[in-house]
This record gives sequence, C-alpha cells and structure tokens, in this order.
Amino acid sequence: MNMVEKILARKSGQKSVAPGDVVLTDIDLMLMHDLSANFVMKVFENEMEGASIADPSKLVFAFDHNFAPATRDAAEALAAVRRFAAKHNVKNLFDSGCGSIHHVVMEAGLVTPGMIVIGCDSHTPIYGALGAFSTGVGNNSMAALGFTQNKGWFKVPETVKIHFHGTPMTAVQPRDISQFLVGKLGEDGAIYKALEYAGPYIESLDVNDRALFPLQAIDVGGKCGFVNPDDKTLRHVRALFGNKPGTPQFELFQNDADCRYAEVVDIDVSRIEPQVACPPTVGNVHPIDVAVGTPINVAEAGGSTGGRLSDIRTLARCFANRRVHPGVRLQVVPASRDIYLAALKEGLFETLHVAGANIFPPSAGSNQAFNMGALAEDEVMISTQARNFPGRNGHPKARHFLASALTVAASALTGKITDPRTLR
Amino acid sequence: MQDKITGRIYKFGDNVNSDIIIAGRYLIYIDPVKLAEHAFEMLGEGFPARLRSFDILVAGRNFGCGSAREQASTAIQGLGIKAVVAASFARTFYRNAINDGLPIFECPAVYDAVAEGDELSIDLAAGLISHSGRDYEFPRIPESVAKILQLGGLANYLKSTLEAGAAPR
Repeated sequence: MNMVEKILARKSGQKSVAPGDVVLTDIDLMLMHDLSANFVMKVFENEMEGASIADPSKLVFAFDHNFAPATRDAAEALAAVRRFAAKHNVKNLFDSGCGSIHHVVMEAGLVTPGMIVIGCDSHTPIYGALGAFSTGVGNNSMAALGFTQNKGWFKVPETVKIHFHGTPMTAVQPRDISQFLVGKLGEDGAIYKALEYAGPYIESLDVNDRALFPLQAIDVGGKCGFVNPDDKTLRHVRALFGNKPGTPQFELFQNDADCRYAEVVDIDVSRIEPQVACPPTVGNVHPIDVAVGTPINVAEAGGSTGGRLSDIRTLARCFANRRVHPGVRLQVVPASRDIYLAALKEGLFETLHVAGANIFPPSAGSNQAFNMGALAEDEVMISTQARNFPGRNGHPKARHFLASALTVAASALTGKITDPRTLR
Repeated sequence: MQDKITGRIYKFGDNVNSDIIIAGRYLIYIDPVKLAEHAFEMLGEGFPARLRSFDILVAGRNFGCGSAREQASTAIQGLGIKAVVAASFARTFYRNAINDGLPIFECPAVYDAVAEGDELSIDLAAGLISHSGRDYEFPRIPESVAKILQLGGLANYLKSTLEAGAAPR
C-alpha cells in the first residue's frame, strides 16, 4: 500500500484497502472558510435538527475571504458563524485578517502526519505535503457525517506517480513546475486519482514549496495529492511545535517499496520554461512566450498559491530601488499573520511600499473578489492566485493570468506580461 | 429516487466548471430556487431560463470541475433537472451530487451519441440508458453510496439510519 491507502485503512479500522473500495473513516480535522462555514452551519441546523457536534475540537473556521466585511450581508454571515462557534464550543475560529485558510491551519500546527483532513474548499489536498490524507468536500458531507459522527466516506483512489528530476532553469520557480503539470495532465487528467509527487526535484524542495503540488491536485481532477513523508517533513512538523510544549503524537505512514501505480509520469524540470495559465481556465497553461507583451492593470502576489514569505521576498528583491510601472496596481497579500510579521521584520514591506505597491491584510486576497480584486471589462490581472475563471474577478470579459511570484514581479515592473529571464 | 428517469436532454461540452454552473457571488444563497435563478447565467443571454425546458443534462469529461461548492449541484436541482449524464465527473461534484440526492451517471458512449433535444430514458434497476432504440450500460455506483442517493441525499440517509437505530459504522 502507499501512504494514502495506509491512512484510509488505519482510519477505517481495516488491515488493508485497495483502489475502488468505499470506506467509512474517522475524520481528524474539518475545515471551513468564511464562504462555506455559514452554509455547513445551516445544513447542520436545518437538516440535522437536534443533532450535536461530536467533537468541536475537530472543527476549524477561518475567515479568509473577508479580511474586513464590505457588505452588511457578509457581516451578518460572519456574525452568524461566530455565534455558532460560541454556542457549540468551537475554539478554532480564526477571524478576519487571519490569512489564507490552509496557511493558517498549517502554521497553527493543527495538521500532523497520518491525519485525515476534509475541507469545504477544493484546495484542501495541500496537507498531502505533510503526510496527511486531505480532500475537498461539500456542505452535506461536512455537516451531516463530519459534524455529528467525525466520519466521512471515501472511495479509495488509484494513484498516479509524477516523477520529477533535473535542475530548473534560473528564474523558473516551483509554481512554474506545478502549473506546468496542470497543463500537461489537463484539467481532467487525473479524475478521482491520488497524485504522488516524487523524485529528486521534489525531495530538494522545502515543505512550503512541495505544498504547491497537492494544492493544485484538484486542478487536474485529483482527489488528493501527497509527497511520501521524509526527514524534511518530520523536521518541518517538529519546527512548528518548536516553541510550544509538547509535539502531539502522530504516526508516519510511508509508501511500501512495492506499492502499485495506475500510471507513472516522468518530468524533466530542466526543460520547463516560466509558465502562465491564460484565461479562461487553470488548465490553459503555456510557456510564457504566448502572453509576453500583454499590458496589465493589476499584479498580485497572494492567495493560497502565492502569499508565502518566499513570494514576498521574491517581490522585494525585484523592487529594491525600483518602482512599480505607472498604471499598474501591485497588490501584496501575505497568506498568514506570521508571514506578515516576518515580512515586516525583514523590511520587505518598506521596500515594496516605497516601490509603490499596496500591502493588504493577511487573507485570500483577490480570490473570488470578495474584499478586493474586482476588474473592469477591459482590465487584465496577473497573479499568483489559484483560479482564473471568467467572472471570478469582476467583469466576465476581464482577463486573469496565473504565474509565479517572479513573473508577477517582472510584469509589475514593466507594465506588461514579462518573461522573468529577461530581468536584469 | 425514481427507478426510471426520462426526458429531453441539453448537451454541454467538456470541463464545465462550477464557476460556470453558479458564480461565486451567489454563494450567499443555499436555497435551490434562488440558486437556480442564476445557474449557468455565465453562458449568456437566455440562460438559465432555456435550461428549464430540459429534464436531463448531458456533458463531456470532467463536469463540475473547479471549486468544491455544493451549490453547483443544488442549483441544477433547482432548475428542475432530474439527472446528469457525463463522460466523467469532477470528484467534488460527483460527491456533492450524491450527498444532495441528484442522480448522476457516467457514460461516455451516451455523450457521443446524443444531440440537444433528444429523449433519454435511464433505467436504474437495469443499469441502462436508452437512446433512439439503443441501450448503453453505465457502471453502477458502489452499493453503500447508491443507498445515499436512493434516500435523497446524505442528510436523509443519516436520519433514516439513526431512526433505524443503526448508525453507519
């Protein structure tokens, strides 16, 4: 068995499971952001009348889209979730300004290897970078089976292994590689599958960069993604608890040497150029050439795929003693309060502020344009966000390109989509 | 859930994402009727009204991809759609549809065979979809999961198992 199969077997009380089996497992953590919490809560209250929450310590609410609600409806929705949390003794409520849900949860040390994590968010597979099984679910799964019984049903997925090797070119970032994979496999390239990311390139990355890969598992139709946990995973998890008394007990599940794959895909990263996902979908990925020269109005480093400390450092390096191109709004959105503080202490925000960038509160940034990020009809944005579907950021004709933080920075500098390899 | 679903079909292509089914700004709603007012409106003039004259949606590969929003399957139900047949489904949509009690069927051959406005007949017990005198087999949903669909969704399923005194194990 591989890591995912071992976790599903253990948590469903079986010796072994095989792809295609349907299992009912224990759930260790249930995540909801501010766009889903309110609905899960309503399903729970209306459809599961009289039921109680089996273990409130397993629930997490993180208000990541509304860093400060801009409408009365949004304010009411958040207030209702706060009341629900108080009534049901849900302690893990991260309020507006906390950051992007998965970064908040990771940094809080709420996920340890071997866990099963479900989230009402399609990017929940990110925790596969920590040796956990995690996947996105809808309101009913969460409210009915999760809330009342700490249970979930899963079909054991087949696994596709992606073997990455080679050394990337200068100016090619992990986001370029993860995005390349989405383009190569296609949006329906791995439906229901578990994706294992392996090989010397993946092993060379730190956990935060590895996380980009399972984060985008959904964008090829995957159920989950994971990196077989190694020493780096363990060091990362232990470091999270470095300053706190007692690391929680956890069990590390690793692949058996003889585990089977539905398919093995080989990728030589040394041949991958900077990549851009063009409108209208995440799967419309091309080498940057196709978009170079497109004038932009907004550039953003933010969202679950781009507000990390490394991304903000990339931007600050680019803008030391340089200015954002006139006519471009450069938006910097840290993915958590810890990242915000670190960027502040390193002086990154001063550099970026002086360059003309706007620093926003920790949040999901322009994702779905709740607090920010709406575009007018003819406007163009390039960002590190995860999705670019038409209408998701304002006018359906506005265009949204997705790229690495370095490509976003290079483009904000010149006012048009720019190949970061041409940066001096 | 009925044993037989029949009606006229509307046909989509591949990779219809959940932002197309229901845009993010309507996620403030959970009511099927309210959601249906805005379902597929991204497709332009005449939508969603046009879809109300059809009974079954047929789509290509990866129907419902993108965001995990359960409102996508709820909005389709709100339109009065009785079933969705696709070459394949995005897994979050597949799961949400079952938990919501929206019957879904994976059958690439049907997608290839049909055109908009055709009549389809789905026989759940026989595991067959009929179109212009031809029958197409669809893979059965695993039994434990089919039970959820039969009872009209996960909430109903749990209520019925709880009432019967046998919590799922």
